[in-house]
Amino acid sequence: MKFLVVDDSATMRRIVINSLQRIGYNDTVEAGDGQEALAKFDSSVKFVITDWNMPNMTGTEFTKVLRSRDDGRHVPVLMVTARSVKEDILTAMEAGVNNYIVKPFTPQVLKEKIDALLPAVAA
Amino acid sequence: MSDPRAQTAYYESEAALRLVDKELDTLRDGAEAVSRFVSVSLSDLPLILERANNQIRSVLAHLRETRNALQTTTFDKLQTTHDKIKEVTSATEDAATNIMDACDRASQIVDELDTIDADATPDREKAGALRSTLRDELFMMMGALQFQDITAQQLAHASAVLVEMENRLADIANLFDSSISIERPLGALGSVDEKTYDPNATTRNAEQRQNLADEIFTTVKAPAA
Repeated sequence: MKFLVVDDSATMRRIVINSLQRIGYNDTVEAGDGQEALAKFDSSVKFVITDWNMPNMTGTEFTKVLRSRDDGRHVPVLMVTARSVKEDILTAMEAGVNNYIVKPFTPQVLKEKIDALLPAVAA
Repeated sequence: MSDPRAQTAYYESEAALRLVDKELDTLRDGAEAVSRFVSVSLSDLPLILERANNQIRSVLAHLRETRNALQTTTFDKLQTTHDKIKEVTSATEDAATNIMDACDRASQIVDELDTIDADATPDREKAGALRSTLRDELFMMMGALQFQDITAQQLAHASAVLVEMENRLADIANLFDSSISIERPLGALGSVDEKTYDPNATTRNAEQRQNLADEIFTTVKAPAA
């Protein structure tokens, strides 16, 4: 299963990708902001993990655009962000995010959230 | 200067300074004609001095208001910035401590693996378990580096506040003398893109914050994937 990992921090992208590899997902593609992510997204991507705060296009903006595309309407989007006030979480949800991880996170939480969204990938 | 109190301060300062300019012009004109003034109407001097005194009092009152408004508008932001920078220090220290602890544990595991290897009949099952623990420790070290992303956002926020303060001070300095151009070294470095940081970013209470997100995603129906 191919993951698209979107974060402007190269360190965070490595941490997320290493976490994915540790739980058995080795097929990943990465992007530094929402615009780059849109350019790299195609139907082979089955799962998106995105940060919120990024230059050019934020994670919520990216998710909204993704949801407007036929090939991105149903792909699971997991947001991994430092933002954690209630209004932000609701905003992410409205943008089309399927689940939410607060930084700093543990690999266990990442696994739980991915596992919870896997049925949607299989569907 | 989007803050209404700052706007008020700005306009009051400007009004006050225009008042000062006007009075100075009047006094300057008076000085040029002082000999005529003295000869014509020396008896008016107390009145003129009283009027000047009143104007100066008025200007001082405006300046006090300006100072208070500035103090109020900047204090909160500077205090928050100070707290953020302290948190950066604390988060860095915590991460370094966690990584050092993991290094110590990893080093002990390597020693134990050496001991097992030196044994005539190595306990491969135990060695396997130790290697698994060692991988966990190495992974924990990598996870601890998440502090970098969060502290980078905290520093970006602190930088944005400093640029804003610099702009306010430059605007006020311009009120006193608009003929000189005020250098803005921080602003010249380029403003911080607000999209790239969360002013509330923190390394603290991650578990509680995650619980809040989980609760919201459980109670409010998340969009179906």
